[in-house]
Amino acid sequence: MKRMQTEILVIGGGATGTGVAWDAALRGFRTVLVEKRDLTHGTTGRYHGLLHSGARYVLKDPDSAVECISENRILRRTHTHCIEDTSGFFVVTPEDEDDYPDRFAAACRRLDVPCTEIPAASALRREPLLNPRISRVFELPDAAADSFLAAHATAQAARQAGATLLPYHELTRLHLSGGDGNRTLSGATILDTVSGEELHIDADLVINAAGAWSGHVAALADVEVKMILGKGVMLATNARLTNTVINRCKMPGDGDILVPIHTVTVIGTTDERVAEPEDLPIEQWEIDLMLTEGDKLVPGLSRTRILRAWAGVRPLYQETQLPGRPAQSENRAQSSKYPATKLPQDSRDATRALALLDHQQRDGLRGFITITGGKWTTFRLMAESAVDAACEQLGVSRPCRTADTPVPGVEQGHYWLGHRLNEVEDENLQSELVCECELVTRSMLEGAVQRNPTVTLDDLRRDVRLGMGPCQGGFCTYRAVGILHQLRAGNASSAAGEWNVAHMQSPAHHHRDSPTPEQQATASEPASVPTPQGDFRQRSAAVDPQAAVSQPNLLLRDFLQERWKGVAPILWGQQLRQERLDELIYLSILNADHLPVDDGESPLSSFYRSDSSISDLDR
Amino acid sequence: MLDLLVIGAGLTGLFAAYTAARAGLHVRVIAHGAGATHWHAGTIDLLGYVENRDEAVANWTQALPELPPAHPYRLLGVDAIATALDAFQQFTVAAALPYVRPGTIMSLPAPSASEDESSQTRGQVEQIDNDNLGRNCQLISPVGAPRPVYLAPTAQQAGNLEDDRPLVIVGLEGMPEFYPALSAENLQKQGFYARTATLNLSPLLRRRDISPLQMARTLDKLDAQAQFTEMVADMAAPGERVGLPALLGMDAHTRLLTQLQEAVVDRGRDSAQHSDRRGTVLSVFEIPTLPPSVPGLRLDAALRIQLAGLGVRVEIGMEVCGFHATGRRIQWIETETGSRPLRHTARNYLLATGGILGGGIYADRCGRVKETVFDLPLTAPHARSHWLRPLFLDKRGHPIFQAGVSVNHHFRPLDQSGAPVYDNLWAAGSILAHTDPIRERSREGIAIATGYAAANGVIKSQ
Amino acid sequence: MQNTTVNSVGLSLNACIKCNICTSYCPVSEVTDSFPGPKYAAPQSERFRDFGHPYYEDDSGPISRPLAAGRMPDASVDYCSGCRVCNEVCPTGVRIAEINARARARIVAARGLSLRNRLLGRNELLGRMGSVAPGLANFALHNPLSRKLAASLFGVAEKAPLPRWHRETLNRWLARTRAQRLRSERKVIYFHGCATQYYEPFVGMAAILVLEHLGYEVIVPPQNCCGLPMLSNGEFGAAESYHRRNVARLAQYVNAGYPILGTSTSCTLTLKEEAPELLDLESDAGTRALKLATWDVFEWLRERLDQDQLPSDLRPLKQSDQPFILPYHAPCQLRAHRIGKPALDLLARIPNLDLRESQARCCGIAGTYGYKTEKYQIAMDVGRELFDYVASQANESDSDSRGPVSFTACDSETCRWQLEHGTGLPSRHPIELLAAAYGLYDLQARRPAGGN
Repeated sequence: MKRMQTEILVIGGGATGTGVAWDAALRGFRTVLVEKRDLTHGTTGRYHGLLHSGARYVLKDPDSAVECISENRILRRTHTHCIEDTSGFFVVTPEDEDDYPDRFAAACRRLDVPCTEIPAASALRREPLLNPRISRVFELPDAAADSFLAAHATAQAARQAGATLLPYHELTRLHLSGGDGNRTLSGATILDTVSGEELHIDADLVINAAGAWSGHVAALADVEVKMILGKGVMLATNARLTNTVINRCKMPGDGDILVPIHTVTVIGTTDERVAEPEDLPIEQWEIDLMLTEGDKLVPGLSRTRILRAWAGVRPLYQETQLPGRPAQSENRAQSSKYPATKLPQDSRDATRALALLDHQQRDGLRGFITITGGKWTTFRLMAESAVDAACEQLGVSRPCRTADTPVPGVEQGHYWLGHRLNEVEDENLQSELVCECELVTRSMLEGAVQRNPTVTLDDLRRDVRLGMGPCQGGFCTYRAVGILHQLRAGNASSAAGEWNVAHMQSPAHHHRDSPTPEQQATASEPASVPTPQGDFRQRSAAVDPQAAVSQPNLLLRDFLQERWKGVAPILWGQQLRQERLDELIYLSILNADHLPVDDGESPLSSFYRSDSSISDLDR
Repeated sequence: MLDLLVIGAGLTGLFAAYTAARAGLHVRVIAHGAGATHWHAGTIDLLGYVENRDEAVANWTQALPELPPAHPYRLLGVDAIATALDAFQQFTVAAALPYVRPGTIMSLPAPSASEDESSQTRGQVEQIDNDNLGRNCQLISPVGAPRPVYLAPTAQQAGNLEDDRPLVIVGLEGMPEFYPALSAENLQKQGFYARTATLNLSPLLRRRDISPLQMARTLDKLDAQAQFTEMVADMAAPGERVGLPALLGMDAHTRLLTQLQEAVVDRGRDSAQHSDRRGTVLSVFEIPTLPPSVPGLRLDAALRIQLAGLGVRVEIGMEVCGFHATGRRIQWIETETGSRPLRHTARNYLLATGGILGGGIYADRCGRVKETVFDLPLTAPHARSHWLRPLFLDKRGHPIFQAGVSVNHHFRPLDQSGAPVYDNLWAAGSILAHTDPIRERSREGIAIATGYAAANGVIKSQ
Repeated sequence: MQNTTVNSVGLSLNACIKCNICTSYCPVSEVTDSFPGPKYAAPQSERFRDFGHPYYEDDSGPISRPLAAGRMPDASVDYCSGCRVCNEVCPTGVRIAEINARARARIVAARGLSLRNRLLGRNELLGRMGSVAPGLANFALHNPLSRKLAASLFGVAEKAPLPRWHRETLNRWLARTRAQRLRSERKVIYFHGCATQYYEPFVGMAAILVLEHLGYEVIVPPQNCCGLPMLSNGEFGAAESYHRRNVARLAQYVNAGYPILGTSTSCTLTLKEEAPELLDLESDAGTRALKLATWDVFEWLRERLDQDQLPSDLRPLKQSDQPFILPYHAPCQLRAHRIGKPALDLLARIPNLDLRESQARCCGIAGTYGYKTEKYQIAMDVGRELFDYVASQANESDSDSRGPVSFTACDSETCRWQLEHGTGLPSRHPIELLAAAYGLYDLQARRPAGGN
């Protein structure tokens, strides 16, 4: 069994977890992060991509609104390249209440959320597909954010600051010691899900940043954290419908946001309370509701081609009186300056403000902090609060630096839709495209495989957008498997320099806008940060590209199934036709359902099968 | 006045048009776009798998009873299918693109007239004898899985997995469409000897575009053929079969194949035990690639050339937008144009528009499944919740893809009562119900057999 | 220019299933890497084109920053010739050529238009200027020195087949022969297009003679360029004003129910579809009425044939018993009408005419495409398929001594010029052949029979 020793152990590799690792490492803590799957596999990788201006919550959840606008300003500086500066419209449709817009504008003013009313006609000129019957339009600094890239950039910043990040490492046990009144959490047992090996990590402090899984993690410490899990269903269209974020100017509800993110528009969302964060069925009524509501913003949206449906789970938290224990949390919603208009009944009404649970104060358990609630937009603030609390528990005072420290890649400037096409054109890379829909070149794929943990093709999808376009892996699954297999066969390990996926994924061979590794090394400072001790530097199977591609047939089938579960709920019309062409390729031409069976399963094979979005006909 | 208007320009429509035109009928083909022939492997897959059985069908004549009673093959029976395939083989010989059952051909085909004269005499296609009738063979898929196939063009013959000669799978540097190592590894897992090799074609290509299609066009040129032949022959070891991605020329395909074959066998001759094989055993073969399929394009071109020779016009870009029927007769159909609808009048109509992939059937969000030309009654799952299964590769297939037109054994579309909807309408190919041609690996077999039967129905009705 | 994101054209990219059929037919990407193919250029790239970025300005801080207006990510779409073969073969109905045309217009809007492309778009203006003194103009344009100059100064390909001004415009011929023109209750309107007016008035004469032979009075109202050269060079604003003028000028005839017939397949296609679609004018009533009233002349003649209204006094084109072998190429612009090949149906009535239908995709010229220095060779390489076909027909007829092939036929003017340039054989509009078969027209001299 391997052992590691660290000061701070972070559980969860989503936006919050990577943010915590970054913050902690910047403050000079030896930091290790474990994530049971790939980074951003949870809610972070399943959200619509909206960088909130806060306006959505100005009336309903003012605390969250204030957090959002402040973080919005910061993230534009620290994560510039992860953000497309789309701007956002709040539009009043004929179905919306008359008095909401004025109250909305007033609340924006009160909370310092920049809000300008613009003539509906000029909004329609900018976004011609918008419902022509909208009466009023407010423009706000909403934006679109790439949560995959942002987590990778944050993770890279954390690594540069000395943190160790271990994806495909699942928490199995938390080590508790001491009796009542002196209970302490001293470390954790971690399972390397690829190799099957166990790892003991001794830590001074464990920060639970497991998002929707926070309750499960807390339970391992014998602490009750009751999460309100709100399932949100989202749909992606085949191409963008608007270039601006569109919100209905009303109390937040279902299907009232359109986010232009990369090549698609995401329609979001529903809010259904669920018991568990996994195995989320997508019901036909949820899809229909999204489309019906979407039609009110962009008439005809329900007839456009939908590429995919997916569900994420909001990790909402509302501190309640726990039996036998006084509520002692610092949950900011409890001491709000801005009372919400409604009390939480269901997940839609639960606050989006962050929740920090210091379990020493709350439960008498030393060495354990839970940070949850919040929005993607506020992940940095959540990390700051968590590490502030950690400093307090550890009895040190080190100021937070994340708000003024740009992550690697910001020099690329804001994301813009055309950048991949532009680079493919400039360097004539058309014949090197592996995923034609999303303009992923072979060298992008190779880079991602060689320098990043790749256990499944789905990991590559998150790194480079492989298979995320109209054909949903129809042409590129085979190509990607072939390339991975070739890489294993030989010339893979000639890894030069420190490539990372913290930059905008660039088809160009020469990252024109990005600095050399040396420049990065000097830009990102602290050489003196202590690193965690132990044999962590020995590469685990999860970060070994050789292991990652040893089972090409499994990779192929897993990815086909992973794509299938997202398209099955929306297969009709042209996307059904597309899927039939994909069937032709994988059945008729490749005969992929009669390939020799690779031994074993990937850590995710059963997940792809079980997390199916449609139910069996025979069930 | 046309005797027959065929709607759809895939294998079904073109072969049916050919059949009818050969019988002297005045035929025209219209289609919204080019046909599905461009996507498929260019082999004739007759019946590879039947539901609930994992192993491939060894002999389709014996597997027919396992198909549902309304399956198009059950409507036809073994003899009718065999007759249609025979007619198809005769067509391929006439078109100088012979298709035979792998294992039955022992010599090179005759190149077309403009090509090498000296080899003409060696061309010979053997009819399928009764012992072999219905026997599938297995060819190599791009990932090295066995593809159950009934007939294949000469260029794919040597990929037969019944053959025990060692294989060399050859890739081309930089080509994103073919991965020889992956293919070879899977062949090895199944017990075949396979090694890999890679050719660098950049000197003869002079293009950035190295898709199989562009390569095939380049390899139509004489000098490129000579250089390429040299490279392949240098690489092949004696006694080996050489598998290449399907790009061995388009128009001058036969000439290149002959050259390659002779060069590879010549090299092999240096080691004495293979000297008797010259001209007798095919040693070079193509492995199909992702769409667009070069072998499929060759088959399409062969059909179009034969049709043009028979005076059949194939008009592409015609999307049907309406039709007019009186009683049980279709009077005309209309296609959309830049301005007013264009009327097409014929005595008979053959619907060969394909299934969901071809565009003959459209399934919408509300669960409605529609036939797109005549709005014919369809057999289809009754609600969207019954369309799909949770696993993409479920061997039973997804029920929505069996949706289609029910026909009688004359291939007349039927209404709910079981009576023909129109007296002058036939339907054939992937639009037919009670079959999932992609899942069954029966697409070309269904296309040829039902297209031939429907065309003959039209001929007899004249 | 109106917005260019919303309508059937832009959204038709949603129909693409990536099947590559367009790629396998594109004649341009087959011969050059400069154009990466229709799938790449239209449904694929369109998802990455941003149409001028909205941005948020805030004095208070770094909340946002403006992006360069109309930042254009790609340029290779300029190498699409606009031949529309992709549209024709696409099984799912993606308006590929139109998406590309719009992308070009956005490039022009962002980067401006070259003088050369502005000139090539001003077909009508050039025609009018030259026709003032055709002899001088022809000398000025066609002498080797000026071609060299035009190539180096403007980028107009030195060898490309530029037309020659005719000594008499169609309008002047009409004025001169006014007394001989048929008056009738049955009337049709003739849309001649710029090429017929200035370079090939005889094609118009042939059409008028045939239509009169059927008993129709032919009205040739004032009209101007259809706007297509501007559309294909991305100059949408100018194209729109030209189109709107035509709509206004033709409105009274359209409203009276007269059909608008054209011999130029590209002009009629523009009136029918390209202008309404590309310029987002489909809901404009006048545009729509004109669209529905416009016919290719053979499309209209085929209706007469179907209704048995076609005079049957068609004579062989040659005195001898030998068949008159005629390779016919249906140009892309005609195929884009999706009306089949009506000229074939009519010409098939001419006795002893042995029609050979080319299956070639495109002659290469594609309007103004082949006139550009950087695209001339591409156009010639694309045309090779057609030139070879014509040569094979000529060789074949030589070898079985059925007499030489003396003409080719094609419905579109620039395609005929390219055909002549590529094959060395004179090329004729099918209406000229029909007029000749009726004894109304001298096919060799290209003028009305009897010298009028």
